[in-house]
Amino acid sequence: MSGRVLEAGLHLLDRQLIDVDGRLAGKVDDLELELPPGGGPPVVTAILSGPGALSRRLGGRLGAWLEAAANRLRDGDEDRPARVSFAVVKRIESAVDLSVAKRELETNRLEAWTREHLIGHLPGAGDAPE
Amino acid sequence: MRLSDLLGADVVDEAGNSAGHVHDVRLVQDGPLVGAFGASLRVDGLIVGRRSIGARLGYERGQMRGPLPVKLVTGWLYHDGRYVAWDRVRAVEEDRILISGSADDLPQPGPSS
Repeated sequence: MSGRVLEAGLHLLDRQLIDVDGRLAGKVDDLELELPPGGGPPVVTAILSGPGALSRRLGGRLGAWLEAAANRLRDGDEDRPARVSFAVVKRIESAVDLSVAKRELETNRLEAWTREHLIGHLPGAGDAPE
Repeated sequence: MRLSDLLGADVVDEAGNSAGHVHDVRLVQDGPLVGAFGASLRVDGLIVGRRSIGARLGYERGQMRGPLPVKLVTGWLYHDGRYVAWDRVRAVEEDRILISGSADDLPQPGPSS
């Protein structure tokens, strides 16, 4: 064992995601694991974030309701949580630093939907800073 | 597969005996290269125990130093914590992970970083 050793729950779950501009971009709610085609142990391929990922950890009726709500906000037919590829993870410390801007992430879609459908219709919303 | 498929699952040996539930998953950064992060995180093994209260405080891994009263209580609570290297995992089923060999010969989890 030669690389850095981390424990997924202790060192990754619930950590804050920070985008390249220092903006808060969600939290680590789950991890996607993939078995390499050539065999061997699973490898972490993505961070899953947002209500669609958190719902499975919550379980029960609340989890099912949250997952259904998250799926309704999703573009396309695919039922899966917002995914942040590990290729854009720069560093894992007390927070997880990303190398891309928040607007490029799937995790931004709930905020974008809220801005477009709710906040955007409020009087004076056009004057609000980004 | 997701991390949440592993966390909380019951770990069962070949004889059908439970070794406890998965409290955490140990990762080592020595997998295939992935973007700016470098080597990807590979699953090394499972930290398993019978008691889940406060399992994510890290005391069962042996590297936490204090406060002393908390360390003593958690040391007693987690003395049965065990480590399952991934090469002993035979199957991941819903809420259950089957491992090879006996639950009695699992080592204690060592400290992480």
